Amino acid sequence: MKCIHLFIVIVFLVSCSTMPVINPPMLPAAQKNLTCPSPFLKEKYQLIHSIEITAAGNVQGGIIGVTVADPSTRFVSCAIMTAEGMVLLEAQSGADKLIVHRALPPFDSGDFAQNMIDDIKLIFFTPQGLMQKKGNLPDGSTACRWQTQNGDYIDVIDNKPESTEIKKYSVGGSLKRHIKLTQTAGNAYSSIELQGSGIVNYTLLMTLIEAQPAEGELPGKEKLKVKNNAKPRRR
Amino acid sequence: MRTDQTLHRYFYILVCSILILSLPFPVSADSFEQLRKDSANIKTIKASFVQKKFMKILTKPLVSEGRFYYVAPDSFRWEYLKPLRSAVIAYKGDTRRYVVSGGKMIEDKAGGAQAMKIVLGEVTGWMSGKFDQNPSFAATLKEGTNTQITLTPVGKSMSGMIEKIEITVSKKAAAVKSVKIIENANAFTQIDFSDMQVNKVISSTVFQDVQ
Repeated sequence: MKCIHLFIVIVFLVSCSTMPVINPPMLPAAQKNLTCPSPFLKEKYQLIHSIEITAAGNVQGGIIGVTVADPSTRFVSCAIMTAEGMVLLEAQSGADKLIVHRALPPFDSGDFAQNMIDDIKLIFFTPQGLMQKKGNLPDGSTACRWQTQNGDYIDVIDNKPESTEIKKYSVGGSLKRHIKLTQTAGNAYSSIELQGSGIVNYTLLMTLIEAQPAEGELPGKEKLKVKNNAKPRRR
Repeated sequence: MRTDQTLHRYFYILVCSILILSLPFPVSADSFEQLRKDSANIKTIKASFVQKKFMKILTKPLVSEGRFYYVAPDSFRWEYLKPLRSAVIAYKGDTRRYVVSGGKMIEDKAGGAQAMKIVLGEVTGWMSGKFDQNPSFAATLKEGTNTQITLTPVGKSMSGMIEKIEITVSKKAAAVKSVKIIENANAFTQIDFSDMQVNKVISSTVFQDVQ
């Protein structure tokens, strides 16, 4: 009986574990020369996307997302608004602190702002943590795997020439986020598809409207420095 | 659910504010009473608009373009063509919002029917030029090179959402020149109208076909 229970637990764990195997190159020299895909920002940038949201299988509507991101400090300032220009959410975050300037329903619920900032950082910033593996997936594409401080795994996969994928797995190996960056017209962020798995599954289809280097100090950054002492919402 | 309805109520009030305030008031209007009388002569309006969204986060304004149709007493279509397509259409007592999905326009079901009824009540007031009789806004009218109407939300219902709305009416063109919706010190929306046509025939299909 105990064996059956153990078997069920093993089957359950295996079924949850969807992390693919990354095979390191056979030759040490090849491993040394293997370059991890890096579709991430190299400098401060402002990006504006139209975003089509699908949650629990239903289209929830279209919004406009504004992101200003600085990879050197991992600072993100972002806003989402309706086509009519009504700002639904405005927030900013440094390395680990979050300030929500404005959040209207339903974007004021729970950890929505924090989750959104986390998704933005996953898309635009090089993963933090230890690099665990680099090599090739069974289909031949180049992949690198990081393990973050909280135990999650992040895979960055180069599917040349079509796209780059970013996958985030839980400690147990279940897929939490799947991001596909499809490059057109020379911009890695022309088309972004993000699939989130959790209590509610959702998909964001982001189409680039505008991208330009952000000059000078990022909006609201000074404010964040001051407010960091004023009990910001922490993750 | 209540918060959702509240949001959508404010959302539609905001949109409808812009729609109604784009009525082409004549230059002679020097009082709200005059505005009410002149509004009675307007049967249809068709116009294009350019909307500029100013926010601290934006290094330059986000520009949207669209068009607007109105047929008295209560049919309108307020449509954004780019960068993100969407439309609000009111026709025969029914108000719907449409958004683009997979390249097609589909109905946005998130808006509560109750909220729409509340807003339509407000719209009816504005349609009649009753700017100074709407309990949600305090209205002032100022004559100068242009006529400027300022609507300030009354009470806490719009607290933190809209600080005030300024409508500039061009005396030269005898039409609304622009609408400025001020959310706070760091964010406002400027809408400039062009190609305004008044009392020209508008087909009812404009309010039935969203494609």
